[in-house]
Amino acid sequence: MSMGKSIRNRLMPYTFVLPALLLLFLFSLIPILIALVISFTGLDITGLGNWSTVKFVGLDNFVKLFHDSQFLQSIGNTLYYVVIGVPLVVLLSLTVAILINFGNNKFFSFLRLIFYTPSITNTVAVAVVWTYMYNPNMGLLNNMLGKIGIGPLQWLNDPATAKISLIILAVWKAIGLNMLIFLAALQGIPRSLYEAAELDGANWWEQTRHITLPSLRFSIFFVSVTTLIGWFQFFDEPFVMTKGGPLNSTNSVALFVYQNGFQNSNFGYAAAGSFIMFAAIIVATLIQFKIQKKQQGE
Amino acid sequence: MHFKKILGLAAVAASAILLASCGNNSSKSSSKANDTLTFWYGGDADTAVKPIANEFTKKTGVKVKIQSIPWSQYNDKLLTAAASKTGPDVLVVGTTQMPNFVGSKTLMDITDTVKSDSSIAPDKFFTGSENTTKFNGKYYGLPWYVETRVLYYRKDLLKSVGYNQAPKTWDELYDAATKLSKRGKNMYGFNVDGAEPTFGFMFARQNGATLLKNDKPQFNKKAMVDSLEYLNKFTKNGASPKQDTKLSIGQSFGGNGPVPMFISGPWMMSSIKNDAGLKDSQWGVAELPKGKVSNMSSTGGGDLAVFNYTKNKKNAIKFVKFMSKKENQLKYYKNSDSMPTLKAAWQDESLSDSRIQVFRKQLNNSEPMPLIKQWDQIGQNYLKAWEQIALNNADVQKTMDTFNTQTEELINK
Repeated sequence: MSMGKSIRNRLMPYTFVLPALLLLFLFSLIPILIALVISFTGLDITGLGNWSTVKFVGLDNFVKLFHDSQFLQSIGNTLYYVVIGVPLVVLLSLTVAILINFGNNKFFSFLRLIFYTPSITNTVAVAVVWTYMYNPNMGLLNNMLGKIGIGPLQWLNDPATAKISLIILAVWKAIGLNMLIFLAALQGIPRSLYEAAELDGANWWEQTRHITLPSLRFSIFFVSVTTLIGWFQFFDEPFVMTKGGPLNSTNSVALFVYQNGFQNSNFGYAAAGSFIMFAAIIVATLIQFKIQKKQQGE
Repeated sequence: MHFKKILGLAAVAASAILLASCGNNSSKSSSKANDTLTFWYGGDADTAVKPIANEFTKKTGVKVKIQSIPWSQYNDKLLTAAASKTGPDVLVVGTTQMPNFVGSKTLMDITDTVKSDSSIAPDKFFTGSENTTKFNGKYYGLPWYVETRVLYYRKDLLKSVGYNQAPKTWDELYDAATKLSKRGKNMYGFNVDGAEPTFGFMFARQNGATLLKNDKPQFNKKAMVDSLEYLNKFTKNGASPKQDTKLSIGQSFGGNGPVPMFISGPWMMSSIKNDAGLKDSQWGVAELPKGKVSNMSSTGGGDLAVFNYTKNKKNAIKFVKFMSKKENQLKYYKNSDSMPTLKAAWQDESLSDSRIQVFRKQLNNSEPMPLIKQWDQIGQNYLKAWEQIALNNADVQKTMDTFNTQTEELINK
């Protein structure tokens, strides 16, 4: 075996991934690095046209962020979204998937379609429609609740209920796709396991608890991670429906970054904010990976 | 969409660096040939601008490529142009965006042109509009269309509470609004607009406030604080909704009119005509009610500017001048309802409608918001301060003290 051939063999795979790598560098890694540099500067709109006016400010942006009550409130709001939203999405989509998996006839595939439809809709369009439904004076929801003697609720207009209202919409929209992932995984579980369990006299709940859930472990993990990342970046719903209000109660970190970057043109400050979010997402994902590893080690 | 939006910031910055590094000395203009101009327009240009641009082509042989960009994305688009130094030859710039894009050197200094042609001399335009094109004594654009805010009111409903005319003073406005709000549940008299960043400042000026003195904010001085106290009375006693009702104009102004008076710009005219289902005799517009000092309104609109890095300066200036001719401003008005900035254009018959003439009169008492690049953010911060007052019952003086300090820091940064 010649030396040259082995090197060529070893290089071969890299040439195949090179185009993808190049794209990744050009459009993901380099922009992220540049944003990192920007987060240490006071770049604003003047600096955009005239680089000589850009000042290096060190960690100033980060220090200021942690003294900015609005940013702190946005972090609080985002955690609220994550803590309530992620378990809700995972639980509900799993439940729906298991229930739909019961049957195999037209009715069940129709249900599958119904539950999946929200995820193929456009968030912005749906958010506008939901804004009408949430309208406290003439909205559909208050109208229906009024018929059974509840309300009127303020929905998006009250800081206490606005976050929940957004979560309801986002959960409704997220269930479909995740349900599909769970369904695919469910159908991959060998029938023989259930047959064996049935012979041993296990009832439905025991089968779900000891066969279905453990077999779904990886898809539950996958759905949790992607949902977690999604909720950390919660943006569209508050952007369209509340603009972060009332009283900043629905502002998320992602929206805060957008407002500071694109509305106020404080690019340095916004970049710093986005890096704090970036770090938070990485930490949260790493923790999940750790937990997953531990479970597999059991 | 989530991920894209967030990384968008990085992308803007990145494209800025990448493009700046590969094109520093040879800034490209998007037009390749010298006989084609690119024009950026915020909104739908097909009916509004295209017919006028076609005439320009017929006359000069210079083709105009128009790019329509929705207003909601227009600022983002201009930011990328500012960062990459690549963009159109001619563009519309919202009057509130002017300080930003003059600051970023995105717009060309056209002082020489303005000074050498009497037909576009500054005194031909409304002062409030002309002010938005002038920075440090230099001109960076020509005023193209103008907006000012007036009082929209329901004639029939006001009559029912004893007002045969629109309220003329702050006291009358408050009185009428309070009476109208007594009509029942979810009924109001006037809308203290919690989503309009110029609202409190406009009332403060009517009360004699100077907003900025030598670049120092005066927001916690008596004149501004009193005017916010005045506005707060409306929300406190239910004469105004505390926050955006999220109703369409037909729902809030039409029918039994839950919100029978509000302040807005000329764009509401056609919405009311098309969607409110009201007879012409049922509604009207009036000059703003007078405060302690004046009834000063807030000027907005758009200016025509030349992109600083254009390679087609001569034709770009020719086009800007052509669009600023009286007959073309009038054509633009007919196509889009955007009001002309040339004083002379207002004598034309097409603007003789009595409602339109109210805007004309209001323009005599109308100024833009202070033209500093931080103003957008100051306006957003004002909305948050107002929310604290209206929704959280925060003390007005204390809120404005905080807001003033915050603004000082912002300007001194």
